[in-house]
Amino acid sequence: MNVVVCVKQIPDPAAPGALDPQSHTLVREGKLILDDSDAYGVEMGLQLAGDAGEVTLVSMAPNQEVSGVRTALAMGAAKAIVVSDPALKGSDALSTAKVLAKAIERVGADLILAATESTDGYTGTTPVQVAELLGLPSVTFAKKVTVSDGKVRVERQTEAGFDEVECPMPCLVTVTAGVVEPRYPSFKGIMAAKSKPVDQLTVADLGLDASSVGAAGARQEITSVAAAEARGGGDIVVDEGDAHERIVQFLEQLKLV
Amino acid sequence: MEFAEPAEHRALRETVRAVASRFGGAHYAEHARQSAPQEELWRELGKLGFIGINVPSEHGGGGGGLVELAAVAEETAAAGAPLLLLLVSSAISVEVLTRYGTVEQRAEWLPRMATGEAKVVFAITEPDAGSNSHRIATTATLEGDTYVLRGTKYYITGVDEAEALIVVARTGVEEASGQAKLSLFLVDADAPGMRRSAIEVDAMLPETQFELFFDEVHVPADRLIGEQDGGFAQVFHGLNPERITGAALGVGVGRYALERAADYARVRQVWGQPIGAHQAVAHPLAKAKVEVELAALMTAKAAWLHDQGLPAGEASNMAKYAAAEAALAAVEAAIQTHGGNGLSSDYGLVPLWSMARLMRIAPISREMILNYVAQHSLGLPRSY
Repeated sequence: MNVVVCVKQIPDPAAPGALDPQSHTLVREGKLILDDSDAYGVEMGLQLAGDAGEVTLVSMAPNQEVSGVRTALAMGAAKAIVVSDPALKGSDALSTAKVLAKAIERVGADLILAATESTDGYTGTTPVQVAELLGLPSVTFAKKVTVSDGKVRVERQTEAGFDEVECPMPCLVTVTAGVVEPRYPSFKGIMAAKSKPVDQLTVADLGLDASSVGAAGARQEITSVAAAEARGGGDIVVDEGDAHERIVQFLEQLKLV
Repeated sequence: MEFAEPAEHRALRETVRAVASRFGGAHYAEHARQSAPQEELWRELGKLGFIGINVPSEHGGGGGGLVELAAVAEETAAAGAPLLLLLVSSAISVEVLTRYGTVEQRAEWLPRMATGEAKVVFAITEPDAGSNSHRIATTATLEGDTYVLRGTKYYITGVDEAEALIVVARTGVEEASGQAKLSLFLVDADAPGMRRSAIEVDAMLPETQFELFFDEVHVPADRLIGEQDGGFAQVFHGLNPERITGAALGVGVGRYALERAADYARVRQVWGQPIGAHQAVAHPLAKAKVEVELAALMTAKAAWLHDQGLPAGEASNMAKYAAAEAALAAVEAAIQTHGGNGLSSDYGLVPLWSMARLMRIAPISREMILNYVAQHSLGLPRSY
């Protein structure tokens, strides 16, 4: 089985981030790393593809950046497509989905995996847009994925528990952080990743019109950004015999219990 | 001249750091207090190919060199979890077996050392011959088709964890100089006739030191490594790697201690501002930072020289000296920065001090390195 995993390379969350004052989007200069949330999709893909199949990574990145993709290749993915183009600057989620969908068409996947959302953008909308553009069904928030008889079976995380969903392949599945434990790259994996094929493509290579992507094609604009309100002092619960009930009430309001 | 690290080396460092960070400083401190080896971390790194990173690829290893092994030693320590046996099993024993082992010895031992399954430790020092290899008194005598070992070894690390030891023994005397002719033997850790006794130390370390008594230990002749009487040169092929990985471990310990100290000094407030704003706190940390970075540079040079097959003795010694001093300065400054908390079990700095303090003494003492530099780098008369 051939699995495509959509991965995003993001600025290191451990380093302080900065917003571009004009576009209000995250500055993505310099080294990017594999989004942690994508490591789960890569691991799931490797397990489902098995020895007979392979995992192809698809990513859109500024400046032909591949360092994050190399991490996923070191984990065991076979090859990657990275789309970089100055015309992609200012892309919204839909523009990104158009690019990823076109790149995936070149591979021909039985199954497409993605994280539920990226750790830097958090829109959580790109994967289902990719599925829609490809005319494929999608299943979101998978906490367990199995494949048999040309179908994917998913335990789909919900607030109350999980739904059991079955879906014909090819399809797209978004996976949560609980789906599998990602492996660490081995030393041999790291060394092998150096020579694995990374296909660097532009918007024109994908047959996309530059005016349909990037800032030119974006249907979404960030008009302003404001600092988050400073955190308040919190509530102090003084135990007058009913503290446990008030704490439970508080947690229920937050839907934590 | 190129200082930028290749992408695969960055990936190697990041991965080792990530794996070791899952265990981290608290895990190390607990193991050091209990004299318990960090077996789980060793196994995990072994499975991923990092323990045997310098084992040739035809024997299932990573095919790397000391540059890569030093990165493993540094990053595990920088995650707060230094692994002392990297200096012994991965550095000395792998390098010696790879270069001088017979085809059969390499095939038997290297694949399992590559995965971290088998550890082979190193027995050279003796009660009356610490750094002076010429005074080694343990003898190996060929009797029929076995060598018989007699003598005592002292401060041998990790025998309890090892499957075998490389034992340095005297097999003759140079007639002209009267100096010992040495040979190396692969001896099973449970060989009949070899008795071991743990040496009690007050330093907190995961690894245990042993005194070993060889009472007519019979070693088959095919366990001789390399040529009989050729041991002196062979030993030195393993000792530079030991110093280089020791230096890397020191650099890692220094990095970890300074990270902890800087985190603390940024947050801890006593008179309305972080204590790190006071130069009395900041300068010792900054000074140690400079020393750690300098030691890292010399360590990188020494590892590169060894991997290129160039003379690496001077650089290895200097790297080990600089890194041990830098690690101690960093841990000392970190403890002082933490005030009373520097000695508390919650912060785990004292077990790290034990490791840093050990590095000033072992694998070669600060004083012996200064002797070497005085004699070989400066051309001064030998002082001992």
